[in-house]
Amino acid sequence: MTTAAILLFVGLAAFGVVTGAAAGLLGVGGGTLMVPFLTLAVGMSQHAAEATSLLVVLPTAIVASIVLRRRGVGDLGVALRFGTLGAVGGILGALLALALPAHVLRIVFAVFLALVAVRLIRDSLVAT
Amino acid sequence: MASATTTAVSRLGLAPRLVAIGLAGGLLSGLLGVGGGIVMVPLLVFWAAYPQRDAHAISLGAIIPISCASVVTYGVAGQIRPFAAIALAVGSIAGARIGAGALARIEERPLKLVFGLFLAAVAILMLVRS
Repeated sequence: MTTAAILLFVGLAAFGVVTGAAAGLLGVGGGTLMVPFLTLAVGMSQHAAEATSLLVVLPTAIVASIVLRRRGVGDLGVALRFGTLGAVGGILGALLALALPAHVLRIVFAVFLALVAVRLIRDSLVAT
Repeated sequence: MASATTTAVSRLGLAPRLVAIGLAGGLLSGLLGVGGGIVMVPLLVFWAAYPQRDAHAISLGAIIPISCASVVTYGVAGQIRPFAAIALAVGSIAGARIGAGALARIEERPLKLVFGLFLAAVAILMLVRS
């Protein structure tokens, strides 16, 4: 490998540590962090970035789930069955997205996320 | 057809609310192009009354079948950049152990705070890009 390729590998792996740690702590896949990074910093197309990040999310979720199962947190059996339903819903959603104004939906959803964020931050700060 | 579907769902042995959240979470994430966890964790906490830590753990496990289905259905194979995927995965697997270990130890309130800040950032990014 050339020096540039080695540097790129190290840089990507370092960013991977950050997204993996965020994914494991927050219970998300990490695509939210990886896709903008791959498009903006690495210069990938949106499609390539999404495909690549999807492939990284899978081993990340598996490793994090194994760690949590060993620690007795959550219920992996329930999670896998629950996620199977989510996969069915996801396919329906992807088909629906072709027919609905996704732009408007994204704004509505962003407002919903902002409200959830305010509630979570308030709950964490107010003494119970 | 409807009764066959009902039987299949009841065989999963999940509470009705979990069935609804699984389907709705997947639907929203497919519709909006966001990760399932961002949708599922808030629903598990506020609607199904899961403890914050358990909601994050359930969401992580659920991402396994969801991302498998996405890899298959979107036909992404041709678009994957193997070099970047391997480099990111090497780091991400190490990071996942750190993050999941932290999730197993963290208190409920700082977890709510960190996740709340993360969601706020995602919401702002979504609004800016719309």
